[in-house]
This record gives sequence, C-alpha cells and structure tokens, in this order.
Amino acid sequence: MMDPIIRTRGLTKRFGDFTAVDELAIDVAPGTIFAFLGANGSGKSTTIRMLIGLLRPTAGAIEVDGIDVVRQPRRVRDHIGYMGQKVSLYQGLTLRENVEFYAGLYGLAGAELERRWGALRERFALAEAEREKTEELPAAIRQRAGLALSTMHRPRVLFLDEPTAGVDVRSRGVFWELIQDEAEGGSTVFVTTHFMEEADYCDWVCFIHAGRLVADAAPEELRRRYSAGYRIEVALPEGERAAVGAALGREATTTPTGVALVVDTLGPDVLAALDRVVGRHPAARVRIEQPQMTDVFRRVLAAREAAPPAAG
Amino acid sequence: MSARRLWTLLRREVRATLRDPFTATILVAVPLLALLAFGFVLATDVKHLALGVHDASGTAASRRLVAELAANGTFDPRRFATRAALDRALVSGAISAAIVIPPDFDRALHQGGDPPAVQVIYDGGEAVLAGNAEAFLRSLIAATGAGLTEAGSPRGAGVEVVTRALFNARLDGKPFMVAGTFGFVLSFLTTLITAVSIVNERMTGTFDQLQVTPATSLEIFLAKILPLGAVFAFDVVLMVVVAGLVLGVWPHGSLLFFVVVSSGYVLISLALGLIFSATSATAAEAVQKTVLFSIPLVQMSGFAFAVRNMPTAFRWFAELLPATHYIRVSRAIYLRDAGPLELLPELGVLLLCGVVLIGLALRTLEARA
Repeated sequence: MMDPIIRTRGLTKRFGDFTAVDELAIDVAPGTIFAFLGANGSGKSTTIRMLIGLLRPTAGAIEVDGIDVVRQPRRVRDHIGYMGQKVSLYQGLTLRENVEFYAGLYGLAGAELERRWGALRERFALAEAEREKTEELPAAIRQRAGLALSTMHRPRVLFLDEPTAGVDVRSRGVFWELIQDEAEGGSTVFVTTHFMEEADYCDWVCFIHAGRLVADAAPEELRRRYSAGYRIEVALPEGERAAVGAALGREATTTPTGVALVVDTLGPDVLAALDRVVGRHPAARVRIEQPQMTDVFRRVLAAREAAPPAAG
Repeated sequence: MSARRLWTLLRREVRATLRDPFTATILVAVPLLALLAFGFVLATDVKHLALGVHDASGTAASRRLVAELAANGTFDPRRFATRAALDRALVSGAISAAIVIPPDFDRALHQGGDPPAVQVIYDGGEAVLAGNAEAFLRSLIAATGAGLTEAGSPRGAGVEVVTRALFNARLDGKPFMVAGTFGFVLSFLTTLITAVSIVNERMTGTFDQLQVTPATSLEIFLAKILPLGAVFAFDVVLMVVVAGLVLGVWPHGSLLFFVVVSSGYVLISLALGLIFSATSATAAEAVQKTVLFSIPLVQMSGFAFAVRNMPTAFRWFAELLPATHYIRVSRAIYLRDAGPLELLPELGVLLLCGVVLIGLALRTLEARA
C-alpha cells in the first residue's frame, strides 16, 4: 500500500465516562473511497470530527495529508473538503449566493470561479436550482449542492459524514456516482454511513462498533471472510442439469429448477465457468445472490463476541 | 381529566426541569438575587453618600458642623484642603455633593450681622440623588447651625445655606435617564441579537462547515460583529437625534466623541453576545443567558440606581460590568461636556473590557470540544 493519506493510531475520544472512540487505528490509501460503517451512535461522526480538526482527541495521533491534525488542526483545512450530516447551506441565500460565499473563503473568484462552478453545476445538475433559496430546494438537490460546494476548491481529501441520510434510494445511487467521480478525479473520499449496502460503492470498508474497529478490508474480502458466500442458481431443462452440474464442479447440487452452487467469491474462474455454461446451454438462466453487507456486519459482530478476549 | 395522565405529565416536566442545570440554577438564583438586589443593594434612601468638605474656617464650630453631618450615617465626609481639589472630585464623580465652610464661619456665627453662609454644591446630573442630598444637607446644616448659635449668640440666626448645582442646575431628570438609556439599550439589544447567531449556525450545521474552511476565528468574529456594529452606530445617531428633537435633550459634549465611544462599546457588547452564543447548546439557552445578564445590567450598572450608594461588594461587582463604565462616560458627555482626557480612566477600563471580552470571544470561537 502507498503511504496512507489518512492515518490514525490509538485514536480515542472520551466524553466523561463514555468512550465514543476507542484506540482506533486506520490507514486510508490515496485516491480511494474509504467507507466507515457502523450503526447510529457507534462513533463514526466523532471520528470524522476528530479527523477534520473540529474535535480534540482524548488520546492518539491523526495525520491527514502529512499534517499532524492533533497539533495543527487549522493547517489541515486547506487540504480537505467536508460535508456534514446537515447540509451546510445558508438559508435565506440562493444557491448561487452560497456558492460565491464558500468560493470566497477559498479565494476563488471571477473567471476561475465561473469555470470551476460551471463544470460542477453541469455535472451535479444544479443549473435550475442556482437562483432558488436553499430552504426551498428538495433534499436530494440540497445534498448534491452540498457535495458540489465541498469539492469546489479541489480538496485532496473529502470527508463526507452520512451524506445520503434522508435522501431517497434513487437519489442515493446518483449521489454515489458523483462520489465515485470525485475519487476517479484523484480525491480521497472518507465517508461515513449506516447504510451497509453502500459499502459496495467503496474501495475499502471499516466497520466500527461501540467505538472500536471490528473489521477492516475491501468489501469482497469482508464477504469472503464473513458470509455464507455467493449463491449461484442456474435454471435449465432437466435433461441438461447433469452436464451443467459437472461443468460447475463438485460443489454444485441439483435443485428442482436446475443447478445451484455456493462460492466464497465471484472470481474469474467462476465467471468463466458460468460464461461457458450459458454459451453451451442457451436455455440456461443464471441468478447470483450476493451476500448482503448487513449480514456480513452481523457475522462480524457475532465472530467478535465469540472470539476470546485479546491478551493484554 | 385523568389523574394518572396528569401525574405522568407532571413527573416528566419536573424531571426535565431539574435535570437541566442551567434552568434549575436560574429558577433558584434569579429570585434570590433580585430579592437581595432590590431589598439590600438598591434601597432608595440616601446613606453613606460621599460628601466633600472644604473647611476654610477650621474652628471648633466648623468641625462640629461636619461631625454632625457624619453622625447619622447619611453622609461620609471627605476633607479637601483646597476648593480646586473639591471641584475636581465633584467633576470626576468621586463625590456626589460637597459643602464649603467660609473662613469667617465662626466669627459670623457669634457676632451680629449676617449669618454665616455654607455653600452646598452638588452634581445636578443625578437629579434624584442631588435633590435628596440637597434636602438632607439643608435640614442637617440648619439644625446644627441653630444648635451652634443657641448658647453664645445673642440673635440665634443660625446658618444660611446657599446651594449650587454643578451641572444641570434645573435638576431635570431627562438628560440623566436619556444618557443612561444608551447604556441599557446598547448592552441588552446587542447581546440579544448576537446571542442567537452562532448557536443557530451550529444547529443548522453551517458553523461546522465554516470552521473547516481556511477562515480564521478572527475573520469569523469580525464578520459577525462589524455589520451589526455599523447598524448600532447608526442607531446611536438616530437615538441622539430623536432624544434631541423630541425630548429636547442634546449632548453637552462632542457628538462625534459620543458616537465613537458608543460604537466602541457596541463592539464590546457584541463580543459578549458572541460568547453567550458560542457557549450555548441551544438558542433558548443563549436567550436565557442574555435575560439573566440583563438583571444586573439594569440594577447594578448605575442605569437606574447610583453605584456609589451600593454596599462595597456590590460596587466592586458593578465595576466589573462594562455597562457601568459606558453609562458613566455617556452621562459625562451628555451632562458635563466631558472630553477624552477627563474620561481617560473610564475609557481605559472600557478598553480593557474590550480586550478581555474579544479575546474570550475568539477563544470560544476557536475552541475544540
């Protein structure tokens, strides 16, 4: 892995007797989308507020883009963009006035602002909303506008705290495409969410539970480690089932409608085998059941509870 | 009506109230403070009023007169060797009234001819206090003077009292109240307006957003208070004009000086509002703090009751309020035509308050939990 652009060690935050974040150690590779997943109250927002310098940690170290955030919280501000749970648009101002306000804080003005905002306005489909007061905009548009504003100054690291909360499912899909565009443009995206299925939009996933890191891997790796695997069902005429079963391997079993198989991952070998089956048996209909990330999370927690406590 | 439901509702309300330390404190502390302030601090009777004495006679009779004035606790006499020193103390507000005993006091008392004339001088700016003090002094001097002449004088004419108001000779109460009102309005309204600004932004999320931009806390602070400062400076001019045209009360001193000082005071007061706001979790809490602050503002800043009449501990507390010093400056400009040099000590205190409060406001804006 390249040098991490975000790195924490022993990161801890206590509020009185309550420990919100406990000895957190994470590394985020540059240019990736890093998902920080957990239930409500698990410590996600506390962590992100420490990472962007809004909250002083009780203990531990934070480095973002080479800056020691604990010692120099102000310095990190030039390097990051942030979008909080509440989309931070000033009410009473139009979207355009909000754009000019935030652009001004980053020293963007004149032709440079027009060029940058023009591109964002088109990409985020905000042209029609530009002259509207922000309180009159639908939640999905406000959400897109918030993301556009947080990326206007081309930050190296983008922090998104529950960016899709309160947005309908369709708009969430569009929103994640925009986030992926940002990452492809070179930004590192650190995103918290409690929607487990959103992990699949990300390159790397951390599960946090009660302030502690409980799993840390790529989504596929988490599925491999903590699920029953992908269930593949091939529906086809009875006379062809034996041949297809043989082609898919020893683990394949016959079912009332065809052949079924469970695999840990959808590797190239599995996909190639399925491709051959479909080529030779045009009547075959393939259905793949992906393990739900919610189930993965449950299994992670169950495995953690079953494991003996760590020494020391 | 269901008693059970009512009990359930009552229990929740009581729990919610008692578990909010700020509200619980207000509920207990405010009635007690108000009771003590009105009953103990702000009694309207005149007691221990600082009385300047220039005794040019220096005889047993004049000393007895002064001793009699001090005897019943209404006045605390302070001796001044020269008339000039006495005048300076009156102008600065160190004393609220003064008597001048003439060199021939004893001789005139015991010989025939005109009775001795004791001059009573008071600061007419504080019309109510001055009126009370003058009446007390007149009666006390007359009674003591009669006692002094009973034994030795063939005529028993007593002592003549000649009064002179240093400022506001007609004892018109309006200038005093108008000049004080600037202090009350600028303190209360500025604090109230800014008290909700940051806490509202916190609740909508824009303050967090602002704090992760390169904007510094000084820039955020100035952006918050300068536009409001300009509006309130305009308000000051408007109030001066309206007070002049409608009430006939114009400042005796420089209008420019008054507006400059008032604008500076507005910035101090706005900073206090920002502190309330930045340290409150909700807008309601910020407003509660402002209302709580307005109680000593009215009672102890000298706006309605003379600070020098309060017990020592409360006087010290009053001196900590920037409003106390601003109201003094405002009245000095309005009633006495005081200039910057004369008001240097008060202006210095205001400047110090400004530095402290603005420093604290910047810290609260910058503070990370």
